Amino acid sequence: MVRKFLFSVVFALSSLMATNAWADITVLVPSGSEGDGLRAAAADYAKLKGTKVEIVQAPYSNVFEQAANAGQTKSGTFDIVLMDDPWIPFFAENAHLEDLTPYFKKAGLEGPDSDFLSKSLAVCRNPYNKGPYVCLPYVGNAQMFFYDAAKFKEAGVEAPKTWDDVLKAAKALSEKGGGRYFGYVFRGGQGNPVVADFMPIFWSYGADMFNGDRTKVTIDTPAGAAAMKTFMALRDVSPKGVESYNANEVGQALAAGTAASSINWPNWVATFEDPSQSKMVGKISYSPIPAGTKPGSSEIGHWTMGIMAAAKNKQEAFDFMLWATSPEQMKISAQRGNPPVRKSIFTDPSLTSQEKFRHYPVLMQAIEASTPRPRHPKWPEIENAFGIELSKAVAGTETPEEALKRSQAAVEEITGIK
Amino acid sequence: MTVSIGAKFGNSFERWFERHLRVLMLAPAMLVLLTLTIFPSIYMIVAAATRISPNPDLPWQFAGADNFLRLLTDEQFHVGLWNTLLFTVFAVGAEFLLGLGLALLLDRYIRRLNFLKTILMLPMMLPPVAVAITWKLIYEPQFGVLNEIMFRLGLPLQAWAGDVRLAMFSVIVADVWQWTPFMFLLMLAGLASLPDEPYEAAAIDGASAWRQFWDLTLPFLKPVIAIALLLRIMDALRLFDLVFILTGGGPADRTKTLSLYIYQVAYRFADPSYAAAISLFVLFTTVAFSTWFIKRMRLAD
Repeated sequence: MVRKFLFSVVFALSSLMATNAWADITVLVPSGSEGDGLRAAAADYAKLKGTKVEIVQAPYSNVFEQAANAGQTKSGTFDIVLMDDPWIPFFAENAHLEDLTPYFKKAGLEGPDSDFLSKSLAVCRNPYNKGPYVCLPYVGNAQMFFYDAAKFKEAGVEAPKTWDDVLKAAKALSEKGGGRYFGYVFRGGQGNPVVADFMPIFWSYGADMFNGDRTKVTIDTPAGAAAMKTFMALRDVSPKGVESYNANEVGQALAAGTAASSINWPNWVATFEDPSQSKMVGKISYSPIPAGTKPGSSEIGHWTMGIMAAAKNKQEAFDFMLWATSPEQMKISAQRGNPPVRKSIFTDPSLTSQEKFRHYPVLMQAIEASTPRPRHPKWPEIENAFGIELSKAVAGTETPEEALKRSQAAVEEITGIK
Repeated sequence: MTVSIGAKFGNSFERWFERHLRVLMLAPAMLVLLTLTIFPSIYMIVAAATRISPNPDLPWQFAGADNFLRLLTDEQFHVGLWNTLLFTVFAVGAEFLLGLGLALLLDRYIRRLNFLKTILMLPMMLPPVAVAITWKLIYEPQFGVLNEIMFRLGLPLQAWAGDVRLAMFSVIVADVWQWTPFMFLLMLAGLASLPDEPYEAAAIDGASAWRQFWDLTLPFLKPVIAIALLLRIMDALRLFDLVFILTGGGPADRTKTLSLYIYQVAYRFADPSYAAAISLFVLFTTVAFSTWFIKRMRLAD
């Protein structure tokens, strides 16, 4: 009996060891290409350095929940979290993230090197672009404007530079499409999707959620109203049902050739250029976000690596992050499908000469002209409230003016800024 | 001497063991109950009466009834409550009527077609996530099968789950599709247990089929109906997975249920105290309703 028991214990322990339960570093990553890329890098790192890196993959929203839970309970479950950049103020201001300054000093560095794009580094400092580094950028996402150049040309627009150009072409194409083809499509789903597709338009009309020193909420302004007017006009030329669309539906509409243009994330390039998933291979053009009354600005959506304050192996975690964001590794990461955050990779001729990286110059331009989502620790709550009002405006259950007014009141209530 | 002490100890242990056998047998179950139910419940009450910061270095602050008072003024909570009630009334109502109708049909007229019963029960066996994804694909406005049918019939295309007027209806239809078989199964079991004699007597007295249904079948089925409705109502009040996948609570908040809102508050807004207060409200409302319903239907008798 005792022998059986001991055997079971030994068996269970060896199974745990075999499944990497005792890893040197545990990294929480999202599902999808970003997480897959870091998983592959972790396997390379383990082979090279002998450090066991365990990757825990979870759907997008669960990454935030799991990291917040680990931070709130100081569980030390994760050493590194691959975070979406709007989460950084929440994690940093609630003492969930480690300040990286002493680690850079120990490595004999002032901070990240100058090859990183300045906008990519700015999101990793808290407060934005001023405070200490609390993470390192890993995946260089920023929205781009995708459009079918041939269709736009047919509609009398060579290359859309402004939202008026987009509207002109989209209106003509939707009218001609007879309810089966549309000039524009967007993410109208309540919450994060509709906010993500509205913000670039909002910014391109000179509007913003807060004033410079964040002492006033500035949603319900003439600039905000101008942006809303364009957004509603774009809704009118979009397919029925955009009220529930997310990035997948928008991407699929373009890949299937049922819509001519949209804002989306750069990881959709791979889908558009893949003949097994797209009818539009080689037909989609990419540009920075069109201008409104002010130059267009993309929403930045970088994936960044931060060390949890309760991490068990902080130095090893930092060493891994430094290695994974080095120019050599970033090039490998780009080849695995994740946009880089380094100038040298964006301009590397061995990459840019390939068809699948032809969007890199535009993407680098988009990142450099990007704006972060309003940096506030209560951003998830703000985004939810703003997303509800925008969703109501898109669905037509309240007027655009009411939506702006109610958004203003909701954000004032959440932030306490009156 | 040693042997006798050992024997004495053995005997007293045996007596103690026999005396406490019932308690010992219950202990594992009690331990599980304590860990999984009682401790979380107490923790939830404590959390609802405090203010928990996402910052682990800040202490919990006593909030008294603040979190509960917030329920009175929180517009999103009111929307969630209204949507949950709307969904419960229409979804459970439709499931009951359809389940009863199908059970009567199959019990009376097509009793021999057993494979039909199996097919009708299939949706109930699917995980709710799979059901939600299936209906999401069916409702998809551009590529979905429903709009393809509408288009071929020359009918106007609809946005279904993306349309404010149809979103709640779309969620209800998906739920009815999945849970009608549950009602059907319970009603069928109830019908199978009905005695034949009263029906024979009623037939001799010339009672019509409708009269027999109204005066015999329904009163006989009352306990089964009550249990079925109670189980489904309690389940419908907790609706989460279907709306989470199908609509995310939109468009324009039209399908946001209380469970979805609790999830958002707890995990997206990192406010476990307020989420605990809403959860307690749902718990006590469900308990109060169930107690009233059981009394009203005289199920205890």
